[in-house]
Amino acid sequence: MPEEGSQAKEKMIKIAIVGSPNVGKSVLFNALTKRYVTVSNYPGTTVEVSRGTAKIDSLKCEVIDTPGMYSLLPVTEEERVARRILIDERPNLVIHVVDAKNLERMLTLTLQLIEAGLSLILVLNIMDEAQREGVTIDARVLERELSIPVIKAVSTKAKGIDALKQGIKDYAERL
Amino acid sequence: MQKDYKGPVEYSLEIAIEKIVGLLKEDYGISKRAIALLLLQDEEEIKALVREKETEALSKIEAIIEEISAHYIHPLTYELALERQAQVRQIISKAVTVKQEKVSIREKISRLSMNPITGLPLVLFVLYWGLYKFVGEFGAGTVVDFLEGTIFAQYINPFITNLFVRLLPWEILQDLFVGEYGVMTLGFRYAVALILPIVTFFFIFFSIIEDIGYLPRLAMLLDRTFKKIGLSGRAVIPMVLGFGCATMAVMVTRTLATKRERIIATILLALAVPCSAQLGVILALLEGNLPGMLIWAGVVGLVFLFIGYLTAKILPGERPSFYMEVPPLRWPKIGNVLTKTYVRVKWYFKEILPLFLLASVFIWLGKLTHLFDLVINLLRKPVEAIGLPHQASKIFLFGFFRRDYGAAGLYDLNKQGILTGLQLVVACVALTLFLPCIAQFLMTTRERGWKVGLGISAFILFFSFGVAYILNLLLSNLGVVL
Repeated sequence: MPEEGSQAKEKMIKIAIVGSPNVGKSVLFNALTKRYVTVSNYPGTTVEVSRGTAKIDSLKCEVIDTPGMYSLLPVTEEERVARRILIDERPNLVIHVVDAKNLERMLTLTLQLIEAGLSLILVLNIMDEAQREGVTIDARVLERELSIPVIKAVSTKAKGIDALKQGIKDYAERL
Repeated sequence: MQKDYKGPVEYSLEIAIEKIVGLLKEDYGISKRAIALLLLQDEEEIKALVREKETEALSKIEAIIEEISAHYIHPLTYELALERQAQVRQIISKAVTVKQEKVSIREKISRLSMNPITGLPLVLFVLYWGLYKFVGEFGAGTVVDFLEGTIFAQYINPFITNLFVRLLPWEILQDLFVGEYGVMTLGFRYAVALILPIVTFFFIFFSIIEDIGYLPRLAMLLDRTFKKIGLSGRAVIPMVLGFGCATMAVMVTRTLATKRERIIATILLALAVPCSAQLGVILALLEGNLPGMLIWAGVVGLVFLFIGYLTAKILPGERPSFYMEVPPLRWPKIGNVLTKTYVRVKWYFKEILPLFLLASVFIWLGKLTHLFDLVINLLRKPVEAIGLPHQASKIFLFGFFRRDYGAAGLYDLNKQGILTGLQLVVACVALTLFLPCIAQFLMTTRERGWKVGLGISAFILFFSFGVAYILNLLLSNLGVVL
């Protein structure tokens, strides 16, 4: 253990990216990690889980890209694995990625994750398509209602990645 | 975040949650409140976890849950979902505004694709151009002819045969590698010159309709029909893949939610979904014989629905629930399509090549030990019973090793003029339903276990001949001439 530096900066924080299928979790995961990614079957299942490390300035993070889940009450093997990761691996921070177009269907999981006592950042992804469909979202109001940080993003165009990194750093500093 | 679940005050869910939370002493990684909520929803894995961590608490908790459940009309899962939904709606109404716009063209096309009246013709259109014309005629026809007929038959095979004949002076070993069914001349050639191009073209087709966003729409369209046969819209993907290569489709049944659904899908894939290799030859055989083709398609289609319906009745377990995001329609991106195709072909080829090589070894052993002659003799009686000449028994055995090889053998028999039109149709039906190829059989046992794999095969063996027998009886007695 290195002695110098504040504890928060030297500690490795564990981040889990969760969300339903097709909301851009993996794109976000790749944008955060870039290197050192391993993909392996979750023990005892045929479900694949990607893990990688990210370095945000001096903050080191282990990032887990979980299989798609709609709810904490699992129906599929994928959902079961995603929940097991949250329970067994105890991530410090959970990034919930949602499709901004279908916020109504997606927020249920956000509420469940908050209820589960997890530290959460909500990422409203695919904002471009939402805007094209005439959907406007007031992120500040959402932040107030949910009492968690909310970030708008278009992960395929690398929009919102910096804000997310800042959000992760802010979280680590509060630790 | 605290919430108050309503209900009769003295039995309110909130009180039950509090009581359960009070009983939980261990650390669960997520909040005790969340654990309590999952317990209220009767979630097995969490129950097991609690049972393991604190045995005594669980029986008390179960008593609380039983008591509270009695005071609600609906299952607690449903009650909780309603509460949450109301909460979400309230938040949404504050934070989100939606500008009402005219229905876009994309949205119109999207709706048409999911409406049965317009959607079903669209499926036929997509299948005809994508599967039949592009994968079947071009991929499995033109490209395979070139690879197999020109590259392999004229250049590679003579070279390899020559090489092995020189290296291995023993005829038995020469047979193993470069004989009629040799590891190199059959197994390797078959995998590279036949399966590789067919599967590549199939994956191009598949990746395009995937990139457009057509698959979830197809799943929505077929969900209701699929429910009747014990499957859900989710099973559309392995079923569509089955028309490409059923071996791969069996592998993909992993994505289905329940064991029951996985078994039903596996049976249907083995029985009534012809792969592209087989489909190509059968369509060629029945070309120009429209009534024959309709009878064949009708019988196989009926068997598909009937067996699905029956297994859904017999197999215990819950009916699958199905919920799927329908993404917007998008133009396919060439880069996406190519990358997806490449990754899939690579993965698939690595899985399949060893199985084909192994199949060649089995054929070699079968011939060497005269086991084949024995099996052909065994098949002779049932083959004659369904009204076919005894020469056809060989076709069924080889059909097990290569699905289309059986069909190709039928093609040869037909050219010799041995078969009547009626016999041809009966043979096509029998062969389509008959055992899948050895690669699919091995994959089935790998995915579902030996017991299920052998059970399915035994059933199919009898069932396929049974259907062919009845069909033959029916057609001959009705005096149908095809």
